[in-house]
Amino acid sequence: MSKLGVIKDILQVLRHIVRQVFSRPFTYFYPFEDREYPERTRGRHIHIRENCTACGQCVRACPVVAIRIDKSDRKYEKDAALYFDYSRCIFCGLCVDACRFDALYHTPVVDLSEGSRDELKYDPERIETIEREPLEWRGRRFR
Amino acid sequence: MSPDIGDEAVEIWFGPQHVSAHGWAAKLTVVGDYIVECDPHAGYFHRSAEKVLEFRTFKQGGLVLERMCMLEAFLAEYPYISAVEQIAGMEIPERAKVLRTIMMEASRIHSLQFWWGQLSAELGLFAMTLWPWVDREFFLDTFEELTGSRHAASFSTPGGIRYDFTDKVRQKLLRAIGRLESNLPKFKDMLLRSPTFKMRTKDVGLFNAEDGIKWGLSGPNIKSCGIPMDLRKDWPDPNLAYDLADWEVPVYENPEHPGQSDAYDRMVQRFMEIETSVSIIKQLLDQIPDGPIVDPKARAKANRLPAGEAYGRVEGTRGITTVWLKTQDKAQTPWRAKIRGPCFASYYSLKHMVPGSTFADFVVVFGSLDPYPGWWDR
Ligand code: SF4
Ligand code: SF4
Repeated sequence: MSKLGVIKDILQVLRHIVRQVFSRPFTYFYPFEDREYPERTRGRHIHIRENCTACGQCVRACPVVAIRIDKSDRKYEKDAALYFDYSRCIFCGLCVDACRFDALYHTPVVDLSEGSRDELKYDPERIETIEREPLEWRGRRFR
Repeated sequence: MSPDIGDEAVEIWFGPQHVSAHGWAAKLTVVGDYIVECDPHAGYFHRSAEKVLEFRTFKQGGLVLERMCMLEAFLAEYPYISAVEQIAGMEIPERAKVLRTIMMEASRIHSLQFWWGQLSAELGLFAMTLWPWVDREFFLDTFEELTGSRHAASFSTPGGIRYDFTDKVRQKLLRAIGRLESNLPKFKDMLLRSPTFKMRTKDVGLFNAEDGIKWGLSGPNIKSCGIPMDLRKDWPDPNLAYDLADWEVPVYENPEHPGQSDAYDRMVQRFMEIETSVSIIKQLLDQIPDGPIVDPKARAKANRLPAGEAYGRVEGTRGITTVWLKTQDKAQTPWRAKIRGPCFASYYSLKHMVPGSTFADFVVVFGSLDPYPGWWDR
């Protein structure tokens, strides 16, 4: 390898470094700001109970048995209560595909961490509501 | 240890806790700094995927397959889906065929970029680890925009695909490819000309083409000996659209030792694979036909399959990946699914390739074969 080649490589590395120093970082200052998630993001689910017909297709489609259905729990006519176990769910989206009554959707909320496994088991109340708007910018932007 | 090795030999376990050994372990017998025997062990990554498949319906099976190798999720799930489609006798819409092929090639590029960074890290060249991984993020962004998940895409489904291309996906894919195309020649030149890289990889892990075939190697490992073995051309799948693009099987034969392959040749070969994939994607992006992406009637057939046997295959990033599927009549789950991963052969060929090299070269030989533990622990 000639001396010229080595100098060329060093210059290339330096150019890269200078460019990286002045360009926007690829990472986000996470707890204070959140990135925008694509529309199809397979995050936690939301269950729209008014539309549910208690058909149980979502339970049958789930490969890891993450959904439990309680058909006797009737808040609206003909609906069912769903219990989601997010310590099991692999976010494959088969349950959402299986629901033909527009009653089950993914939301772009993906930060589900909790202090214990039990808190990851969502009861019907919790799966019907979202605690926060998914695309909200929380706090100020740092750049 | 063989009995004829003298007293000075020491047995060392490489892995399973070593940082380069994620989910595998090899027993090395070393004399001084030289390895005299290598005994690769499988089983540290075993998740009994074949048994799990017997308890999953045909629509759910692809999810298990894609978890065999998360880096090539679009490719890994395909053989199973293809086998299901063959047994059910499904017709796949043209649009689904082309989109499948495009995403499979994008997945191949993504996997190769990851491997390239990992091998550089094992060689101690960390700039070459992080640079391709930045480019790789753009492919992951595309996957996320398309399917909603960065790695576990579960894109194909019996009868077609689950997610349609949108303009945004197309833009993101073009952006990822544009970035790759502008950076690849630069990076390739810097890496392949680097004296450190040449010193570490030339004549390391050398094997003959005949031996490679005998051991069952496939994919880039055997192509780097100069053998154009590629399922995409040799045994084209009617449900994929490789015939729409004009491309040649990438084959690299080093003039210094024809018919043989060392770690350096395998690196060059994989760069050629990336270039081929880029050209296939670019050609197919102009030829996406309009129409449905899945036929719901065909998809419903996958709920219960007739009795039959099928052999799904794909040319994966690491070599030939196949699934043999047998079903009984009106079955909801497979009777038996046998997965053939490409890496079992490359992992066990270490036994023949490694003896004679130094201890430090072991990681390089292993890394240059691009094995993934999920493919040998099934
Ligand atoms: S996303 Fe998949 S794993 Fe999760 S509840 Fe739905 S079907 Fe089950
Ligand atoms: S959420 Fe959908 S699939 Fe599940 S029980 Fe209700 S209607 Fe049926």
